[in-house]
Amino acid sequence: MDVNGAPADAAVSTSQPPAQNGIEGVGSSGYKLKFCTVCASNQNRSMEAHLQLSKANYPVISFGTGSLVRLPGPSITQPNVYQFNKTSYDSMWKELREKDEDLYTRNGLLKMIDRNRGVKWGPERWQDWQIGIPRLEHATDRGSEGIEGGVADVVFTCEERCWDAVIDDLHNRGTPLNKPVHVINVDIKDNHEEASIGGQGILDLANSLNKAAQEEREAVGAMSFDTGNAASRASFDERVPDIIGEWQERWPNLPATWTLAWF
Amino acid sequence: MAASGQLSVPDQIRQLEGARKLVLGDVSYYPQVIQATLPIIGPTAQVEFRRWGADFLSEAFATPAVALSQKETLSLLVLETLVLLAQDPKQDPMVLRSVIQTAASIYPLALRWTINNPYDTAAWDHMSAIKSRILRLWDTAAVTVRICCVKFAQRVVLAQMPSVNAEPRKNDPLDVSLAMIPSGHPALDKHSLEAEASGLLDRTLGVLQDSSSEVLIVDATLNALSILIRARPSASNRILNAIFSFNPLKLASVPLTSKTKVVVRSMEKTTRMLLAHLARRDPRNPHAPRIQQYLERLMASKAEVLDGGSRKRAHGEPPSGLEVKRQRMGPAQPTFQVSPLGAGPHSLADVFALTQNAGLRSFDVSQVPATLAAKISVNTIARIDASILDRAIEGVRERLAHLHEAARQAPSPETTALDVEDDDDYEPYEPAYGPAENDEQILNKLDSEPSSQSRELQRPAVLSSLGLPTFKLPPPQPLNPNQAVKVGQGTVARVFGMMSGLGDPAMRRTKVGVNRLAASSYDRDAWITIITRLATRSSAGLNGISVKDEDESAPASAVHLGNSIRESLYTYVLEDFRKRIDVAVSWLSEEWYNDKVQQKSASDPGSSPLHYEKWALRLLDSFLPYLHAQDKVLTRFLSEIPEINAALLSRVKTLCRDPSMITLALTSLLYLVMMRPPVREIALDTMQGIWLEYEEARPSAARHLAKWRPTFLEDQKQASEGSGQLSMGATTAAAST
Repeated sequence: MDVNGAPADAAVSTSQPPAQNGIEGVGSSGYKLKFCTVCASNQNRSMEAHLQLSKANYPVISFGTGSLVRLPGPSITQPNVYQFNKTSYDSMWKELREKDEDLYTRNGLLKMIDRNRGVKWGPERWQDWQIGIPRLEHATDRGSEGIEGGVADVVFTCEERCWDAVIDDLHNRGTPLNKPVHVINVDIKDNHEEASIGGQGILDLANSLNKAAQEEREAVGAMSFDTGNAASRASFDERVPDIIGEWQERWPNLPATWTLAWF
Repeated sequence: MAASGQLSVPDQIRQLEGARKLVLGDVSYYPQVIQATLPIIGPTAQVEFRRWGADFLSEAFATPAVALSQKETLSLLVLETLVLLAQDPKQDPMVLRSVIQTAASIYPLALRWTINNPYDTAAWDHMSAIKSRILRLWDTAAVTVRICCVKFAQRVVLAQMPSVNAEPRKNDPLDVSLAMIPSGHPALDKHSLEAEASGLLDRTLGVLQDSSSEVLIVDATLNALSILIRARPSASNRILNAIFSFNPLKLASVPLTSKTKVVVRSMEKTTRMLLAHLARRDPRNPHAPRIQQYLERLMASKAEVLDGGSRKRAHGEPPSGLEVKRQRMGPAQPTFQVSPLGAGPHSLADVFALTQNAGLRSFDVSQVPATLAAKISVNTIARIDASILDRAIEGVRERLAHLHEAARQAPSPETTALDVEDDDDYEPYEPAYGPAENDEQILNKLDSEPSSQSRELQRPAVLSSLGLPTFKLPPPQPLNPNQAVKVGQGTVARVFGMMSGLGDPAMRRTKVGVNRLAASSYDRDAWITIITRLATRSSAGLNGISVKDEDESAPASAVHLGNSIRESLYTYVLEDFRKRIDVAVSWLSEEWYNDKVQQKSASDPGSSPLHYEKWALRLLDSFLPYLHAQDKVLTRFLSEIPEINAALLSRVKTLCRDPSMITLALTSLLYLVMMRPPVREIALDTMQGIWLEYEEARPSAARHLAKWRPTFLEDQKQASEGSGQLSMGATTAAAST
């Protein structure tokens, strides 16, 4: 749990989070929000954030919203394309190493996929996710502990297009679970360096959100609405826009969009 | 506190979690586990247990892992506990939240149970008690509870309004609707239930009409409406009208704090996503034109409110400088004076500077974007006091007159600054299309040439020669072809840099309703026209000549300039091909036109090199792998480029290798068949090819072919019948076993 993992130039494009939101996360005990990270191919940005959130002991799962997993190939016209849910990171890693180890080492692809194999089996597609189906078979995934119920409290997308796809999909599903979910986009450019910085930004936001959720749970009885105390202490849900606003000032280079949607 | 001898609260919760893991692994244990835990989580239990229990119940009734019939049975077990939990006036809000979520999941089940078991009124009584409690909470509870009340109301409306499907659908038993309630039911009165739903719908939509702007409730409401609009036709009109009269940007007028920015953006985007979703899902919806209209209006006012605001803030420096200016000008008005210039050299800027503020004087106005500067100037001129303007003009006149005097007396080249830059704006005779030298290059040249030329150049900076009737730029040195190409590429690179910097916002503007007319959107188009013509025509026709009468290096470089611009255009389009497809189309149109002109003028029609097809193919090849199934960009590209041939369409055919892209490929071809009669035949040929080559595409391809080329399918059928008697026999044999 050391900050040494952070790239040295993180401060160049984004300011460091203030002290109360350390990189440490929640430790092993205490209440934890359940997170979900989403990008296009479930390879770079969502996986970096998945890893960082799981290192900070948060329950987390991740998805991609694209129709296929697309990775750069030898030229712009020859991308490497894989099926979601069917190809493991391990087999992609082996295949690419076979194809051109030199090229895929140089562009960082092998390193990225190698990291991903340490996080979970393979890329999952958001649209194929059966929300609310237990995920006990994912017990070896990083961050799987605490999210066995297959539902998240907060969804982080890493690109506006993915946020749009997630919201559109939730509309399509018809909100059958009656469960509220905060969907937050944190705009991250799709490269290794920005993904790492974006992951730190997401972790910082997750820490702030979780702190508010913990405070809400500790305030037993104090918030009873009928006793007139309702206004004295705002709930977690109400504090989300404030928290994002404050976070946005700390991370001005990661523009955010938020809504409260339904599973 | 747990009594001594018992387990501590965390330990008991851990045990309960163990039970939960058990049912997550096998949902058939739910009845036992729920029955065993109900006494532990009841209304008198400690808050930790009530929270855990309510949460557990909401999960049990939400998860799709449990069959609906099983949930229906389970609901009968828990209703009483839910009533007690909901009715406690001091109930913990987090417990309430889970209880309401559970009630929302159970509501259609309880209604269905009561429909089928009219004499069991107990369940419905419990459900009604919970409902009236929730509807009361909707007014008084904290926002975090109220959003759950909104969702509960949505479920009630869904269950008690007529469905879009007259018959309850067999595959979706949860689609409980008014149609399922028989008239004359002893416990359920169809009409009062429908009236209740109608009232709840109005109450739900009220949040969009109120001026209260509780963003959580607005978002929660909007994000719950899609299914109602789609599945409950009697509700859809009212909902859409409420949305159409809703202005998500109303908060944007107050000073934007970081929180209000989040809130305004959230409401705007949430509204836009809902409508876009409806338009996408059902494009033939009778409301589609109004949705389109609303979205356009919303984008326009958003551009005004948010973009305008954020752009001002984005350029941190200029506005702060301008604000200072405004504050300064105010009090200074009554005693406005233009001070005469002192002795010594002065820049042109000095002559026109009216303020004494050193900070302002050093402010580089050229940093302000031209459009903004124009806006500020127009505003200032419209508002300025005429007498002050007169006095300022008079003051500047005096300064100029004074300088003329001084210059006549002492033209001293030693003391004048080498300030070429300042004069740039002032020199109308500098040819805009001139050599691609930038200021630095000119200065470099000055440094390296101590001749009389440089003396001449120094003079324009001397204010004495502000009249400048005799000044001429020194003629540029003749460039050798390599330098020319290099310089040319530099210019092209700069134009592209400018287009990507300024082009995209202008692009967005053009889509914005009335603003379409604004002259500002002309910039990018103009540059694209220039750059494409530079690529296609500048060196066209020269190739042949230069090959004949110059040595090898020259023709090569001539070809290079055109092609290097083409490469740049190609990269520029591909960087963001969805947004820049219009650039691609205008470029290809220029190429096509140029190809035609070249062919016509060439003595031998085969000799002039053709570019159109090569680049059209390259572009198509490059963006095809990145298309999504929903992309409109392919259809647009194919319909707008000037000429289509079989080679291009064969690329489209290859899309079908990815089954999810079949529809896109076929739709694009169908569009060509319908809208571009000249290429109809080759488009149909391609479709035929798809049918022959890709098994998975056959059903869709056959549908289009049946309409446009029925003979093909018949031929295929006959052919397969003719050649495949054997396999036919095999199939029938297989079918009969």
